[in-house]
Amino acid sequence: MTPPTPTLLRPEGTADVSRLLTGARAVAGGTDLLVQRRDGLEAPTLVDLTGLASTRPAATRDPGTGELRISAVHPLTDVAAGCAGAFPALSAAIEAFASTTIRNRATIGGNLVTGSPAADTVPALLAADAVVEIVTPDGGRRTVALADFLLGPRRVDLTAGEWVTSVRVPRPSPEGGFRKIGGRRAQAISFLNLAWQWCREPDGRLTDVRLAMGAVAPTVVRLHAAAAALEGRSPTPDVVDAAVAAVDADISPIDDLRASAHYRRRCAAGLLREALLPPSTSGGPDQHVIPTTREKDQ
Amino acid sequence: MRVNGSPVPTPAPADHGMRLLDYLRDHLALTGAKEGCGMGECGSCTVVIDGRAMTSCLVLVGQVLDAEIRTVEGLAAAGHGPLQEAFVARQAIQCGYCIPGVLNSCAALLDRERDPSDDQICAALDGNLCRCTAYNRFYDAVHDAASARRAGGDA
Repeated sequence: MTPPTPTLLRPEGTADVSRLLTGARAVAGGTDLLVQRRDGLEAPTLVDLTGLASTRPAATRDPGTGELRISAVHPLTDVAAGCAGAFPALSAAIEAFASTTIRNRATIGGNLVTGSPAADTVPALLAADAVVEIVTPDGGRRTVALADFLLGPRRVDLTAGEWVTSVRVPRPSPEGGFRKIGGRRAQAISFLNLAWQWCREPDGRLTDVRLAMGAVAPTVVRLHAAAAALEGRSPTPDVVDAAVAAVDADISPIDDLRASAHYRRRCAAGLLREALLPPSTSGGPDQHVIPTTREKDQ
Repeated sequence: MRVNGSPVPTPAPADHGMRLLDYLRDHLALTGAKEGCGMGECGSCTVVIDGRAMTSCLVLVGQVLDAEIRTVEGLAAAGHGPLQEAFVARQAIQCGYCIPGVLNSCAALLDRERDPSDDQICAALDGNLCRCTAYNRFYDAVHDAASARRAGGDA
């Protein structure tokens, strides 16, 4: 089943990528693309983007606006270090992502472009209104909101010859997090996942509440109704109950090989409830919840 | 490209798309790295690239032409003989298939942490499956190796 050896082209810098991409596919960490090739994806010619990482930082923050710009071609290990506390929801997602060996290869660009509804870095980026920066075949740039970039399972707004160079995050919040449910703690594709961020006012009210959930719809989705139920309120038990009840309206999970729709709906509510626990109890080493019993998959 | 501290012949452009795992095994006769799943999940092909543990089945050799690569064959020369001896002394090896990858993940950890905690060892090994489930002995061996290094004034 080992596919034929692909031709690997190595660009001489960013400007050279577009020329080589004609009739080829971009590869960076390869942690998804090379597995898909094994499973039959035809990609005889690949253009290596990893060499671009040495020409720029993994993440930069505009000191004026607070906007983060994250490189799409750096391994997640470097992205986590580069964000250094500026984007806790993404940092938590990277910590829960696959394994050390995969985090040392996998990139934000790959996690976006592969278009998986279960991608673990996408909820944090979507909650923070990320914008995808794309290099077009003529070497120009275009940007598209991440919410518009995600079109469906394995479908994104990227045409032949285009590649993702970076992601801009206009408003990462200082309080945020990520939780996932998977078959085990490492190397697990999420049954579902949740990223959140908000500001906590001195009186305890949550404002600018942003929630995004993965693997419960054709793309990662924002939980607008639940966020509205929390906005401007303190997370008292009644408010939490109302927000948790509102999750159902924003998701449309299906039965698949990893979990049933019914299980996902129940867990979606539970994940948000756990996210709203006081910070002292929701963090800690056991933050990635593993179900002890699992409803029978189809 | 350097492997285990020595320069190796530069892969021909036609070979740049080969998996690093295949290049190590078939071109350089370094058969320590094993293929298990071939999908980056089991960790038996783990090597250390520029100080970081990675699964060599998901790296194309043309992506690491400028890198320093360490395989299990180069561990002792890189100062990790005591780690390998600790694995033997603790009887942490049963079938052995995962061990080259496990040792590389542990060595990469010890290169950045002189006294790793159980949690840090657990995290460093989150990409390495051991079907014989000798994990508790891996922890003991890593602690032993870290102690030996500290006692030797090596860290």
